[in-house]
Amino acid sequence: MKEDVAYHVMAPEQKKYGDPIIEISHLVKSFGDNHVLRDYSLTIRKGENVVVLGKSGCGKSVLIKCIVGLIPYDKGSLKVFGNEISEIQQQELDELRAKIGFVFQSSALYDSMTVRENLEFALRRHGKGKSRTEVNALVEETLDNVGLLHAVEVMPAELSGGMRKRIGLARSLILKPEIMLYDEPTTGLDPITAKEISNLMLKMQLKYNTSSIIISHDMHCAQLTANRLSVMIDGINYAEGTFDELRKMNDPKVHAFFEIL
Amino acid sequence: MAEEKKSILPKGLRDFYIEAGETTQFAGRFFREILFPPYEFREVIRQSYEIGYKSLPLVGITAFIIGLVLTLQSRPTLVSFGAEAWLPAMVGVSIIREIGPVITALICAGKIGSSIGAELGSMKVTEQIDAMEVSGTNPFKYIVVSRIVSTTLMIPVLVVIGDAISLYGAFLAVKVKGAVSFTLFFHQVFEALNFGDALPSVIKSFFFGFAIGLIGCYKGYHSKKGTEGVGRSANSAVVVSSLLIFIIDLMAVQITEFFGLI
Ligand SMILES: Nc1ncnc2c1ncn2[C@@H]1O[C@H](COP(=O)(O)OP(=O)(O)OP(=O)(O)O)[C@@H](O)[C@H]1O
Ligand SMILES: [Mg+2]
Repeated sequence: MKEDVAYHVMAPEQKKYGDPIIEISHLVKSFGDNHVLRDYSLTIRKGENVVVLGKSGCGKSVLIKCIVGLIPYDKGSLKVFGNEISEIQQQELDELRAKIGFVFQSSALYDSMTVRENLEFALRRHGKGKSRTEVNALVEETLDNVGLLHAVEVMPAELSGGMRKRIGLARSLILKPEIMLYDEPTTGLDPITAKEISNLMLKMQLKYNTSSIIISHDMHCAQLTANRLSVMIDGINYAEGTFDELRKMNDPKVHAFFEIL
Repeated sequence: MAEEKKSILPKGLRDFYIEAGETTQFAGRFFREILFPPYEFREVIRQSYEIGYKSLPLVGITAFIIGLVLTLQSRPTLVSFGAEAWLPAMVGVSIIREIGPVITALICAGKIGSSIGAELGSMKVTEQIDAMEVSGTNPFKYIVVSRIVSTTLMIPVLVVIGDAISLYGAFLAVKVKGAVSFTLFFHQVFEALNFGDALPSVIKSFFFGFAIGLIGCYKGYHSKKGTEGVGRSANSAVVVSSLLIFIIDLMAVQITEFFGLI
């Protein structure tokens, strides 16, 4: 595994990160009797990639949906750029969302639109004052980044699962957001494409200094992209640290994630 | 989520009230959202094309057949009273007042209501609505308001076109059995009709259109997870909106009677 990674840039060491961008403290969220997030705290700084690990169904997707205000949380505090999400007005929330790229676990491509229209949709809303040629150039550049330039006029139904995933990624990257929330970006991809996607995530981080939360079960992806990891167990931030710190940890629950390596 | 409190009402009845309340809230939200910008004109036009133009063949064929069959069926009765000359007038009034609007609306509830229910349902289930929301678009405006506006405007148009085709079908049925010219037939029809027949039926068509759009969108927007949920949304959109069409029809007849238009 070691040499495998050596071909690639590793995420920069944790040092010169800026101000906190996302501050989650003591977040609580239940669906009826299903207590999903119990007391979750995590801080993401400017330019930092944080990978969130956790078993299926433990509430990772719920966590990042809380961050963009898709799911209201019950208790605790969640600040993005210093704004408490549960308190801001709809318009401010929309402005905030323009700075956040969200990659859905299920891709969530708009079925009734072509790939091009899918990518342009957010641009139409936020990229005001862009000319037709600028928009086209941006769409093509972004699609090229995920290696799907040839699929520009295709309908989503004609794409494979992995292709949909990459289009979903391209759609969130097109606005060059300051925060990226990736919900399992490499799950279901072949190892080669998965690595390409991981590298793309790193490239975004280095080029635009984005801060990201990456939800992943893919330990190779985590190793490659993470500056820091958070292990979510029973709705709390059970353990936190760099990849190597967590790998050396003696806790069996944490260690379970690293066994496959 | 509704609190699981002890209720004196049986479960079915309670669910009915909850759903009726939620639908009303949904309608309330529609009226709030339609007032304020941004307006999604492009989407309204696209949906009107999808909803109106694409339903035209189906509405046309059913309207034609209904006009034809109604006339053929009514004829023997009128003949036995020796009132055959009344046929155009009688058929015209039934088509314009009742059969045209209701049949068209029911056909549209089946075609448009189910497709809206299924489309929104699958958008909900595959998180497309969420994706729209995080990209800074108000999905309620973009998806729901545009569709309800389109159905409300397009159903009356379809009804008027359907009425015309229906009358033509009736004309053909009369012509098959006896000599009547096109002008004479329509002269007799319009002689029998007055403003009080046409206006209420156009007005109620707007309500039919609103009901079809509202129920389709409500069912789709609140679709349960999974493909089964999508199917159920489409199905109950048709059932509920068809039922609502009859209820509106019943109310419309009372109101027109009240204003002395019958
Ligand atoms: N909208 C919702 N309504 C009710 N319960 C929900 C909702 N969304 C999620 N849940 C519940 O919250 C829990 C966590 O779900 P979540 O989707 O966050 O899991 P996850 O950690 O992302 O899992 P996976 O890795 O499988 O995607 C699950 O038990 C799920 O049933
Ligand atoms: Mg998930």
